[in-house]
Amino acid sequence: MNVAHVDELDRIELDEGFVWRPVRRHFGIRAFGVNAYSPREAGAQVVEEHTEESLGHEEIYLVLRGRARFTIGGDEHDLGPGQLVFVRDPSLRRGAVGLDADTVVLALGGKPGAAHEVSAWEAIFLAAPAAREERFDDAIRIHEEALAERPDHPALLYNLACMEARAHRHLDALLHLKRAAELDPKWARYAETDSDFAAIREEPGFPAG
Amino acid sequence: MTEPGYEILSLDDLERYPGGSGQEPVLMPLRRRLGFRPFGVNCWTATAAGGQVIQPHSEPGGDEELYVVVRGRATFTVRDETVDAPAGTLVHVPPDTPRRAVAAQDGTLVLAVGAKPGEAFDPVPWEEFHIAFSKLRSGKDPDGARSIVADVLARYPDTWEGEYNAACFEAVAGDPDAAFAHLQTALERNREVVARYAPDDGDLASLRDDPRWRELLR
Repeated sequence: MNVAHVDELDRIELDEGFVWRPVRRHFGIRAFGVNAYSPREAGAQVVEEHTEESLGHEEIYLVLRGRARFTIGGDEHDLGPGQLVFVRDPSLRRGAVGLDADTVVLALGGKPGAAHEVSAWEAIFLAAPAAREERFDDAIRIHEEALAERPDHPALLYNLACMEARAHRHLDALLHLKRAAELDPKWARYAETDSDFAAIREEPGFPAG
Repeated sequence: MTEPGYEILSLDDLERYPGGSGQEPVLMPLRRRLGFRPFGVNCWTATAAGGQVIQPHSEPGGDEELYVVVRGRATFTVRDETVDAPAGTLVHVPPDTPRRAVAAQDGTLVLAVGAKPGEAFDPVPWEEFHIAFSKLRSGKDPDGARSIVADVLARYPDTWEGEYNAACFEAVAGDPDAAFAHLQTALERNREVVARYAPDDGDLASLRDDPRWRELLR
């Protein structure tokens, strides 16, 4: 049986202070987005501050355990177990801090009227510990696996280029960064100031922002 | 609390709609309450420890489902395997797989999330029918129950599910003529699935001795 307690899921620590518990990925779910989050410690972020504008997702955040202070569109709400916030407007900025160290928030999300697609951020989150520990081969492999499923995804290409630049694979980094910028010019603007590209910024072919 | 663009809700504030007998799960219709559109999400509870919290079913239509024990403790059975599931447990079940769960404690609450991979979600009308059946069986609001059924059939005029559930509703309500008319339409729309469900469906028990039953399902 495909069963797991939320505490048995992988713990992927992110720099923003929260711990990602990858539910969808653990079970191989294809039909909807579902993940769990914990704070690294009481008072740390449990839901990253973000909007869903780029994905157009409606999202439900349900507190399974502990307490969390949500900030939704500038309003603060303290929620406990069994309480949820449903953010129907993708443009609303939302985030939450875990008030208890053992807080767990279940996040459910998807785009109305569209078949679910696995979000690219999952691979970027998954690669974060490897990048932090400078295990760039692992970080590159995670991005390449995600790109095999989502070819030409600009955010994945950009982050792959970041990893390749830091791993001194400069030609690969330039090629992937150039492709990301062709697909969406905003990535060329981001690259102008991204420290990951410091070593290749003067190379011929570095995309102009 | 509802603000423009978002809503705060306690699961305890959801309405509760018991199933047919005292042992069937109680629906707490979360998706409908929120107007959530991307996929199916609802809460289920039992009337008491020992009662069903997830009704036996298999999702032959292709939905994959994730069950999250939010509160209490449940005993899940998937195919022939049984597992103890305290709060915080997640159970993933692929499509067309028999599953059921019983509450091991009073107040057990399970969140059920489901959709069909690769397809945009289209809420089939089972939520409304569950509510209509609950109202009909409680005897408190039979007119309201009938109004829900009429509304669903108007909104989903081409589905087999709507006609099948309307047949069940009329059979339970004691109108066999209407029940057989809906059952015939359901069979015309999806004979394979309807012929699979109907013989074991307790809601249709009152129709089985009628000669029209054998005629339709032969």
